[in-house]
Amino acid sequence: MNKQITAASLAFAFGTAIAVAAMPVAAEEKTMEKEKCFGIAMKGKNDCKAGAGTSCAGTSKMDYQGNSWSFVPKGTCEKTASPTSPSGKGQLAEFKEKKA
Amino acid sequence: MPVLANASPESFPRLPSRGGFGLKPEHFREILAAPPDIGFVEIHAENYMVAGGPFHHYLERIRSLYPLSIHGVGLSIGAETAPDEAHLDRLAALISRYQPESFSEHLAWSSHGTTFLNDLLPVPYCTESLNRVCNHIDRVQERLGLRMLLENPATYVEFDASTLSETDFISEIVRRTGCGLLLDVNNVYVSAVNHHRDARSVIRAMPLAAVHQIHLAGFATDSDADGYPLLIDSHGSPVAQVVWDLYAFALDYLGPVATLIERDNDIPALPVLVAEVQQAEALLRAAAVSKARLPQGLAV
Amino acid sequence: MSPQARFAASLLTPGSRCPPGLMTWNGSDPGRRFDVYRNNVMVSLIDALADSCPVAEALVGTRFFRAMAGIFVCANLPVSPVMAHYGKGFDAFIRTFEPAAGVPYLADVARLELLRVQAFHAADAVPLKSADLAHVLANADALPGARIALHPSVAVMPSPFAIASLWLAHQSDDVSAALGGVDAMRAEAVLISRVGLDVTMFSIDAATSVFVTSLAADMALASAAGRAQATDPAFDIPAALALLLRGEAMIAINFPESMLND
Repeated sequence: MNKQITAASLAFAFGTAIAVAAMPVAAEEKTMEKEKCFGIAMKGKNDCKAGAGTSCAGTSKMDYQGNSWSFVPKGTCEKTASPTSPSGKGQLAEFKEKKA
Repeated sequence: MPVLANASPESFPRLPSRGGFGLKPEHFREILAAPPDIGFVEIHAENYMVAGGPFHHYLERIRSLYPLSIHGVGLSIGAETAPDEAHLDRLAALISRYQPESFSEHLAWSSHGTTFLNDLLPVPYCTESLNRVCNHIDRVQERLGLRMLLENPATYVEFDASTLSETDFISEIVRRTGCGLLLDVNNVYVSAVNHHRDARSVIRAMPLAAVHQIHLAGFATDSDADGYPLLIDSHGSPVAQVVWDLYAFALDYLGPVATLIERDNDIPALPVLVAEVQQAEALLRAAAVSKARLPQGLAV
Repeated sequence: MSPQARFAASLLTPGSRCPPGLMTWNGSDPGRRFDVYRNNVMVSLIDALADSCPVAEALVGTRFFRAMAGIFVCANLPVSPVMAHYGKGFDAFIRTFEPAAGVPYLADVARLELLRVQAFHAADAVPLKSADLAHVLANADALPGARIALHPSVAVMPSPFAIASLWLAHQSDDVSAALGGVDAMRAEAVLISRVGLDVTMFSIDAATSVFVTSLAADMALASAAGRAQATDPAFDIPAALALLLRGEAMIAINFPESMLND
């Protein structure tokens, strides 16, 4: 049931596309980007500063057996309607914070 | 070997003896809308080693308004192996495109083998290390067709292997390679505190006649294992008063020199940076007056 | 091992002793001072990933994200001093990172964000405007064999998860409320393109995703449209072309003749 793709149908498609693209953007336009300042907000990642020396990021080994609290996702994922996949069910509980 | 049009190995970089700041993407549009009255801008070379997009779009426009300093942070001049030719090619392309008034790099290493460690790591001050650094600077100056400025480092440890003072080490590099010195006054202060030296004596012992640019920045305060102060070159706060004082002391010897306010962390609003640049320019004007009064004042 | 090899090895081995040959003016433990370098390396590289992937970081929280990124960094140090390109493979790492299994869409969201960074820095090229297409209509007979050159910033990302909606919800002032309406398990596809200087994302259907991916693989226009139609018989070619036009995603239409003449 595929429509035939021909030179004529492609030319028609281009003609229509030009007309459509020239129209003002509809309210339900599929553009999602509204964060117009993103382009400017992006940082350059190379610099010559030193970070604060008080952090222990480089000195302690990160493993998710010995450091389970760090490995519990605690962010906006908890707000999504379906935070866990069927296969991933139970993961959030499994990596729950262990309090002394 | 291609030699860049405006940069023979004999020519020294010529930034105006004014204040400038490190160019940050956060400020691109504001600078173009109302260009502040500053002497120059500086970029980190590696941030502009991208194919296209907004960084180049804005840099082209801002560069047309101001003298430009390109400051490398990834060449790893202090490494055990020669500078990466691919990286030198990238630098040459950037320099060719933007024709900066100055190119500088650090007395440090940041790559080992093929791994880039993204930090400026210290070198021992010994003969072997001296020879190596001089060879690497020779290669950089040959490939880029210019005389580079070398920046003195902020360091947190010293090496048993060091046989020279930092100032003797740097002086000898300048003498052998003909490179200039980017005197980072904050780094002098940070290293002086961290290694218990007198910052003013360090300034006096630097090869001051070779200084063509100054860096100023803020530091953070930590402490070492015995509770003594350990200063961190964090670039995350305004220039400290003690560093302004050391800067004024250095200007007494140097006269006015292009001076950069470096800020890489907690980037403030543009007017805050401009105010710091103006603070430096006030000291530069004072240095110009006292130098005019005492033409023989440069006692080096 | 050379001194710098030892220095680097100590730097990258948490908990190990600092390399030999370091000294301090007051005889204090040089290890504490060496840790400044260790932290700088790790923090700066983790920061680079966090800068690239703010939505992924928000999804799992800063603590989880930084711990996860730290493990990635240790196994995937940069091989270039140009940090703009650092992070390749981070999404693949997340996909296999067991503690993130409960957030199955995390890897794809991170990938989307990394693609945005690449689009941001991609090479410049002048996009085709409507007025440039007059010659296309004049050469209609050659259209089926024509190839569309896409802008260097263009990328297509299909996902079994609602990556576009998840990303968009995080741009809202009230992220929690915006996320409440998102079914994360719904498949979505995104077209990324730099429009002017702005990295822009367009939500596209599966057929359009196939169409643009086929064009990117240098497939002829009729074949690409055919593949899209095979994906979904309702594939709307005019709408897809209008999107490419509006998204400044096309830079040239190359006809077979002109290619032969080259």
